[in-house]
Amino acid sequence: MPLHSRSHQKKYARPPRRVKLPSFFLAIPAWAWLFAFFVAPVALVVWFSFGYKPGIFGTHANDVLSLDRYAEALSPTFFATFQNTLWVGVAGTLICLAISIPFAYWLAFKAPVSRRGVLLAMVMIPFWTNFLVRTIGWQIILAPNGLLSNGLQSIGLLDSPLEILFTRTAVLIGLVYNYIPLMILPMFVAFDRVSLPMREASKDLGAGRWSTFINVTLPLAKPGIIVGILLVYIPLMGDYITATVLGGAKGNMAGQMVANQFQTAQNWALGSAMAVVLVLTILTTVVIAALVSWLATWPVRARQRLVLGGTS
Amino acid sequence: MSHETPIRILASTSATKIIKSELNRRRFLALTGTAAGVALLSACSPQAGAGSSPQATGGALESGLSIYSWGDYDDPDLVAQFSSDLGPTLTFDSFASNEELISKLIAARGTSGYDIVVPTGPFIPQMIENGLLSKLNLDLIPNIADMDPAFMGRDWDPNNEYSICKAWGTTGYVYDKTKISRELTTWADFIDAAQNEASGKTSVLDDPSPLLGIYYWANGIDWNTTDPANLDAAEAFLTKELAPHISAFDSYPGGAAIPQAQQILMQSWNGDARIGIMESDEPDRWQWVLGSPDTELWMDNWAIAEGATNPEAAHAFINYVLAPDASLRELDYIGYHTGGAGIENAARSAELTMLDLVFFNAEQVKTMHTGKLTEAQQRIVKIWDMTKAAAAGA
Repeated sequence: MPLHSRSHQKKYARPPRRVKLPSFFLAIPAWAWLFAFFVAPVALVVWFSFGYKPGIFGTHANDVLSLDRYAEALSPTFFATFQNTLWVGVAGTLICLAISIPFAYWLAFKAPVSRRGVLLAMVMIPFWTNFLVRTIGWQIILAPNGLLSNGLQSIGLLDSPLEILFTRTAVLIGLVYNYIPLMILPMFVAFDRVSLPMREASKDLGAGRWSTFINVTLPLAKPGIIVGILLVYIPLMGDYITATVLGGAKGNMAGQMVANQFQTAQNWALGSAMAVVLVLTILTTVVIAALVSWLATWPVRARQRLVLGGTS
Repeated sequence: MSHETPIRILASTSATKIIKSELNRRRFLALTGTAAGVALLSACSPQAGAGSSPQATGGALESGLSIYSWGDYDDPDLVAQFSSDLGPTLTFDSFASNEELISKLIAARGTSGYDIVVPTGPFIPQMIENGLLSKLNLDLIPNIADMDPAFMGRDWDPNNEYSICKAWGTTGYVYDKTKISRELTTWADFIDAAQNEASGKTSVLDDPSPLLGIYYWANGIDWNTTDPANLDAAEAFLTKELAPHISAFDSYPGGAAIPQAQQILMQSWNGDARIGIMESDEPDRWQWVLGSPDTELWMDNWAIAEGATNPEAAHAFINYVLAPDASLRELDYIGYHTGGAGIENAARSAELTMLDLVFFNAEQVKTMHTGKLTEAQQRIVKIWDMTKAAAAGA
């Protein structure tokens, strides 16, 4: 064996040489994918956003670069749509949160284990139907002479037909319905992974139900909750199908505005600028929300900080 | 780096003009990047062929045919019959405005995969100029003889080299008589009702030109105006005074809005209004009004997209639907005059329903005006865009 023959020449025996690729080779397919379908398109969008529309039959030109498209995208008329989108996005996420936390908690801890599969399937099954079909279904339910309106009128809760379709409320209902499974599922997993012994230990040490929930369960489930919030908030801000189907003119959202620029106005420059503004809005609000929640929980964390080996 | 290396490309002669103009230095990088992606994707699809347009010569029909047209614009039974008679299976896709059609064709640069497209007249000359349409082989469309000469050779395509009338119609509105008790007759009435009884329950067409038309027609302004003062006035009126009352931008209220009584007042094309009223449970509830004192006359045309992969089937289909029987069936389904010779008499003797929404007398036709594609087009699209944003903000 070569090892033996070399061992007398060198002081330390070395293991046999193997062809060893750098470890980042494993990530190359993922990087290629990410580059081709994320980095490159986003870079193109950013690049287009500094250009302009050259004529009726041109979509974009970049020989003169300017920030004019951003000024246009943020002009009062279009800015109102961004505000509208932000309102729908935040309200929708909060509603999803208010429904998902108790439900996921109940599913993980209180629901009979034997039924859990069936209950999870019930959350998932609507997802098997096409997104658009489900949303159009809501159009039929919410129409002034639709199921809900007629039902409420026949039991006397309403005197006149329900005027809810083509409003922001209808968009909100549709969005919450469409995106809520994306929040329930990661939260359920997160709660499910909080081990029972931990919670029992908390109770043994004298904590009540609420105290256990706030101080043990919730912090342990935090990663899942954050994932749930992001999974709902980000696509919700960019959604345009739900707003198109249920929102009519009143529920116009930024996603539709961007689509209009590409599909009808053929103004790729303005559409790109709007898309960039939308992305920045999402990033900024996520950072602000993270900052606010970090600051808000700071006193609690300071009080509960445990210093091991401290002198006090 | 100052000298330029010539680039040699193998492409069909019709495509070289576009490619040359597109290939400036800056775009080259973007293009090669996209091309790599497209090459990757097209490797998976059987019908690749950027910009190549096999001209139909009367050979065997291809097995497929894809049509990009206005929504619900062909009789499904007739389409099924075409497939069973001649073979090709049809795929349909729809757009809401000519701008949408053009933007898709431009973005795809001859690879859209659409064979037949149905643009409105005024858009045709520039579509030809920009290489978006391919010439028809009229030898393969003998049924063109059944067309009424009145609807042939319009100024956008004097010799019908690229297009043949598919249908023509006009713009008006439909209102709910149970909610609006007075009689509406003009565009001014439309605006007044939108701001009063029908506020928040009014839909307008999701199409830039007829949206501005509401203002122009009501105020006696030529709707092809390019005068900036008129455009400013239209913008101010639409974004400030009409937008707050608009609840939907819907090009096809006949599809759901009329049958489900979603709105009280809807700007609508005549054939779509007819479909909606016919499908409503309470047809008497709805009243159609032809826009006055002036309104639109539009004519949609059969045309074949540059880069069509199924040109033989496309010609066969156009020829098939131009035959008098087929034409009448199309008229009955879509509710628009198809431009066929003697079709009005045929429709009346077949006792089709609601023909007052399909045929108009000479006096009415006199108030209808064809649109033009002018240098104001971009501004018009922008006003439409701003009106949509303003309607949401209100």
